[in-house]
Amino acid sequence: MSTTLSTDVLVIGGGATGCGVAWDASLRGLDVVLVDRGDLAEGTSGRFHGLVHSGGRYAVKDPKAAEECIGENRILRRIAADCIEDTGGFFVTTPWDDPEYADRFKAGCAATGVDCEEIDLAAALREEPRINPSISRVFRVPDANIDVWKTVWALARGAQDHGARVLPYHAAVAIHREGDRVTGARVRGARTGEEIDIEARVTVNASGAWAGRVAELAGIEGVRILPGRGIMIAMNHRLVNTCVNRCQMPTDGDIIVPIRTVCVIGTTDEHTEDPDDHTVFQSEVDAMLDDGEKLVPGFREARALRVWTGVRPLFEDAKAGNTETRDVTRAHALLDHEQRDGVTGFVTITGGKLTTFRLMAEDTVDAVCRQLGQERACSTRTEPLPGSENGEPYRLGERLERKEQHLSDAQLICECEMVNRGKLEDAIRRRATTNLDDIRRLLRLGMGPCQGGFCIYRATGILHGLDGLSAEQANEALRHFLQERWKGVWPILYGDQLRQARLDDWIFQGVLGVGHPPSSELDRSAT
Amino acid sequence: MRGELHYDAVVIGAGTAGLVAGARLAESGAHVCVLAKGIGSTHLAPGTIDVLGYAPDRVASPREALSELVAARPDHPYALIGLDTVDHALAWFESCVGAGPLAGYRYVGRFEHNHLLPTAVGALRPSTLVPETMVAGDASAPEPVCVVGSRALRDFHPALCAANLTRAGIAARAVEVDIDVSRADENALGLARRFDDPAWRAGFAARLALKLQADERVGLPAMLGARDPGGAWSDLEHRLGRRVFEIPTLPPSVPGMRLYEILRSALRRAGGRLILGAEVVDAERSGSRVSAVLARTGGHDTRYAAPSFVLAAGGFASGAIELDSRWITHERVLGLPLRGVPAPEQPRFLGDYLAEQPMSRVGVAVDGDLRAEGADNVLVAGAALGGAVPWRELSGEGIALASGFRVAELAGAGAAATTGAAA
Ligand SMILES: Cc1cc2nc3c(=O)[nH]c(=O)nc-3n(C[C@H](O)[C@H](O)[C@H](O)COP(=O)(O)OP(=O)(O)OC[C@H]3O[C@@H](n4cnc5c(N)ncnc54)[C@H](O)[C@@H]3O)c2cc1C
Ligand SMILES: Cc1cc2nc3c(=O)[nH]c(=O)nc-3n(C[C@H](O)[C@H](O)[C@H](O)COP(=O)(O)OP(=O)(O)OC[C@H]3O[C@@H](n4cnc5c(N)ncnc54)[C@H](O)[C@@H]3O)c2cc1C
Repeated sequence: MSTTLSTDVLVIGGGATGCGVAWDASLRGLDVVLVDRGDLAEGTSGRFHGLVHSGGRYAVKDPKAAEECIGENRILRRIAADCIEDTGGFFVTTPWDDPEYADRFKAGCAATGVDCEEIDLAAALREEPRINPSISRVFRVPDANIDVWKTVWALARGAQDHGARVLPYHAAVAIHREGDRVTGARVRGARTGEEIDIEARVTVNASGAWAGRVAELAGIEGVRILPGRGIMIAMNHRLVNTCVNRCQMPTDGDIIVPIRTVCVIGTTDEHTEDPDDHTVFQSEVDAMLDDGEKLVPGFREARALRVWTGVRPLFEDAKAGNTETRDVTRAHALLDHEQRDGVTGFVTITGGKLTTFRLMAEDTVDAVCRQLGQERACSTRTEPLPGSENGEPYRLGERLERKEQHLSDAQLICECEMVNRGKLEDAIRRRATTNLDDIRRLLRLGMGPCQGGFCIYRATGILHGLDGLSAEQANEALRHFLQERWKGVWPILYGDQLRQARLDDWIFQGVLGVGHPPSSELDRSAT
Repeated sequence: MRGELHYDAVVIGAGTAGLVAGARLAESGAHVCVLAKGIGSTHLAPGTIDVLGYAPDRVASPREALSELVAARPDHPYALIGLDTVDHALAWFESCVGAGPLAGYRYVGRFEHNHLLPTAVGALRPSTLVPETMVAGDASAPEPVCVVGSRALRDFHPALCAANLTRAGIAARAVEVDIDVSRADENALGLARRFDDPAWRAGFAARLALKLQADERVGLPAMLGARDPGGAWSDLEHRLGRRVFEIPTLPPSVPGMRLYEILRSALRRAGGRLILGAEVVDAERSGSRVSAVLARTGGHDTRYAAPSFVLAAGGFASGAIELDSRWITHERVLGLPLRGVPAPEQPRFLGDYLAEQPMSRVGVAVDGDLRAEGADNVLVAGAALGGAVPWRELSGEGIALASGFRVAELAGAGAAATTGAAA
């Protein structure tokens, strides 16, 4: 049996781009349904490096991208203040970098409007004492970091406040067409198996690296995505408090981004066929750690917490011939299929960067309005997201400060990320989920140094109590989250993180016995 | 400035293995010093002496299962220790508890039998020699279970425990009792200190009694007293008029701390010395022997010379064995060779969390007499020994106890021969 929904705009894909589209369209007064096959930001948006680019990275190589980045950087600091920490950024010339590049960099920034100031070496090293003392030049730029889960949920909530319906765990399995018109899609609930037909006047394909597959569902050929895979490693400390970039043509392992209590080194760019392939190779881990050493000597001695990979949606239009270069395809691609294929009611938005999601959404909803034959002005440049109304950026230490005021009444469930019981219970109720990984994406539960060692049992117990789960469901929730945490830990297990993992093995397998959940038959055989 | 001390035997590590080795050596008349960076994993573990729980199926009789295991795996620590020693070590440990500082606190169990006790998630855990305060949790007991928790304790979730016990065929339900805490993040140790107070306990029992049904036994998180657990437990049984049992949960572990107190006092009673906060940072060698170790205490180094050494510094969990960021494995205390390390081209870990991980069996390389390879007068005990996957087998404390006991026998012979050295 299938039910039917009807809407103005159906958005397929709940990454930053899709959520941005939902927010933008709902602000313009359109009715919106957003679906994602998984949780929001479970695709590339939740697997990125964390940087709000100043544009410096592209100042020489791709001036247009640089201009877009600095423009959006300024806007995001206003509208998504609560999601952004103003760390600032350095571009440093290390002994491994072409010394000539620095002047081109400076000129590129000037030409693209990226604020850039060369600063005194000694002053820079005082500010960031851990960076390699043998650097020769340092430039300051307005890089920042962004909490992507906070951002997508603020976008989704803002859209919901304007009437949008947000359906995570609903994959588009078919796209409906009547002749040359796309009329909506059929989605299937991952948890219930239930199918819903969604009628939409315009369907937006915002499925990132999966955009080619979704376009094919609509019978549209040649939307070719070349997924570019990148690896990132989070280290236990903020080895730097400023985003530190190598001053050279963009390459692998050349940025360290401090975010929350950790810092993240990345990344690489390897072609892959399957955007869902997240294999981590030891050679990549080794290369990242070596790159880390170049920027921060002693990097290898620090504790690696977690590794993950994401896939860039690099777009190549098989219809556009061979004229386009790789650099051009790195900008975002908006495909109005009415113009491109003569199919109305369907728009694809892919490529781009997280930093430019708002601009991508604006362009997309402009195209949607054109298809609808309506004039509706975009207001996302100035409208703050829910939670960011006061315009104050996030500060590291906010959670600790709040916690210290509630030592006697707020029970901490995840010490590493300072998630208290009230927040956890709220999130479980709000999400109505049995998946602790969904809660993690909301609250950062289990993302700190112990990777869930202490909070997984506590959170399972609370989930079980609140949601009235059966024992089977609770055991499954616990094991699933354990496996999720392990997934990003085992390829970088060395030093103190291995020590931690051993402690966790003892807790889960030794003390709690999760390797041997009770079976339903009478389980008293050893007595 | 550097001090210099001489002993008959120096033990490195104050977990179960080191404390047992130290106590046994001291009991045999040797002049012993136990040096430890800090306390061992006793404060984290449930405090039960698990000899062998899974092999890989659930073990009913550790003695029987062990004879098969040692035949199949001659490199397993138990194969090197020998089953008779396990038996003797268990008996010695029971006597130690009896003579120990916690009056009325006993351990119960036999080598031929595993108890089957609920964990905090309500799984059933096979365990050999366990505190009497836990025994009534056994799956074979006929009474239905009432699992008792409190919202004040984030480390124990009675409803989950009861739901899984029910799945296992044991009638169980959960209740919560209000407990006033000054800090919201109270752990089992904080609550155990309250249970030491008879007046507080009486109040708790009165509130709990209202919620119980006639024939139920009562399961509580393991927090029934830190100083006088035997007294607290029997008092509670008496007040409630029924059987009461403790269920181990997340660290810190109250029964584990009791175990530590028992072993530490055995060492003291026998005249052994324990120095905590003393990290062994270097060793002096003469040929294939270690002649002395250097221990750092607050920036101050002391040289400890002895004819014989016991390495009981633990494994990866304690930091005594390390895999570095270039994927090389080291024994960090004395630099001894290791065994069980996967070859460089082999995987170290697998993507399935609950699979047996290839790095699991790494330990110090030893001969059949637990003597470290390349260091003739260093004997190895506890988690420093490889060859087992104790968190899967549930054999950690059993191996630690029996190997600590065994190395004392082996070193005792050597040390007794060279008495006369004084501090
Ligand atoms: C390694 C790496 C590092 C990066 N670092 C940065 C950085 O520091 N700063 C920056 O600005 N940018 C960075 N980027 C780029 C940025 O992450 C991406 O451009 C951006 O996240 C893309 O967002 P999106 O919403 O378009 O795609 P996604 O986040 O991938 O969203 C697409 C969604 O579509 C869903 N979907 C797929 N198929 C279906 C279907 N059939 N039905 C329903 N839903 C479906 C997916 O589940 C997914 O959630 C990085 C990218 C990579 C790979
Ligand atoms: C959370 C947890 C739960 C557990 N649960 C169970 C269980 O359910 N069942 C079970 O059987 N076992 C369990 N165990 C294991 C059990 O505690 C074993 O006894 C233990 O692993 C082995 O003890 P050990 O004495 O060899 O080493 P440890 O207890 O690790 O002690 C090592 C000692 O060496 C010291 N040390 C290390 N390096 C140095 C140095 N350089 N200089 C001086 N001293 C040093 C340490 O400070 C410490 O005192 C658990 C362990 C943990 C951590």
